[in-house]
Amino acid sequence: MILTATQLDAMRELGNIGAAHAATTLSTMLQANIEMSVPEINVIDISQIYKHIGDEMAALVLFEVTGEVSNGGFVLLHVPKDSVIRLTNAMLGSTEMEREMTEMDNSALLEIGNIMVSAFLDGTAGLLNIIMLPSPPQLVIDMPHAALEAVLAETTAADINEVVLFRTELFSDRYEIASNIFLLPNQPMLQDIMGRLEDLVRGM
Amino acid sequence: MAEAVTETVIIGIGEYRVGRMPMSSIGLGSCIGLIIHDQDRSIGCLAHVMLPESQGKTDRPGKYADTAVETLFAEMRAVGCRQQSLVAKVVGGASMFKNFSGTLNIGERNIIAVRECLKAKGIPIQIEDTGGAEGRTVTYYPGEGGRITVKKADGRTREL
Repeated sequence: MILTATQLDAMRELGNIGAAHAATTLSTMLQANIEMSVPEINVIDISQIYKHIGDEMAALVLFEVTGEVSNGGFVLLHVPKDSVIRLTNAMLGSTEMEREMTEMDNSALLEIGNIMVSAFLDGTAGLLNIIMLPSPPQLVIDMPHAALEAVLAETTAADINEVVLFRTELFSDRYEIASNIFLLPNQPMLQDIMGRLEDLVRGM
Repeated sequence: MAEAVTETVIIGIGEYRVGRMPMSSIGLGSCIGLIIHDQDRSIGCLAHVMLPESQGKTDRPGKYADTAVETLFAEMRAVGCRQQSLVAKVVGGASMFKNFSGTLNIGERNIIAVRECLKAKGIPIQIEDTGGAEGRTVTYYPGEGGRITVKKADGRTREL
């Protein structure tokens, strides 16, 4: 899997626009300012994924990307456990931190995940002048590395050695909430996006 | 802590190592942490197996159940281990997601493949902590009688 520096830049810019859309929706939901980190995009050997995603308990809301691109790419919303509780509390006006995660947190995560990831894909697809939609979400509350390797093993039909991973962090200083959006395109989806970008550039 | 600190080597997806140092695979989901330990010599190996079958590929032997068992066995023999001293410890193979369309349950297939390959080589499974729906981090200490610890996402750590 080879992406040129120009293609990596293009992917970073696409993700950047998507993430900005997602940050806006989160900001509206929390009625608070949301900061966004500079997005990273890396081509990672599967043996090195643990350096990017660890085994600390977190909530992962996982969506397959569907629409006018090849299926099999994923978007993940990653929220560490403490942030999940603060996020639900902020939505419901509660302040109790000394509690376990409940069904209420799960519902909030699925709902917020849906809204943020739909906005992320809208922003990205809008730039490409196509439609991209999230599948129904899957929620896993466990080790992020374990969930990601299962995604790679169970859903990539091709036996891969490298992944392209886009990541940006969204956080609220006011509520001390951190979250990450990951975009994990597979090879066919990358090719579709690159082809689309080239068409757009040529048409300008 | 007064005791000497030995650096733990992380074995990433598809990798394997042989040695006497502590080794760990972080966040096993559907993957398997496959350990072959020499009970007489405080040495062993750990592979982070991702898929059940190599289908002829040889570039990453630690990645597939069949090539991992074959390679670990050969490596242990090469450093002078006797076949009768070898035992296996198998950790992982969870089903992290309930209802992906067309899910092949790779965790379950990995467990079955590892068991069959070990049986074919005559290596008994001494410890097995597999299946379920939770991720695991396994750490293996060849120099401490081959003990292993298995950690879950909530921090619970069990000695096995």
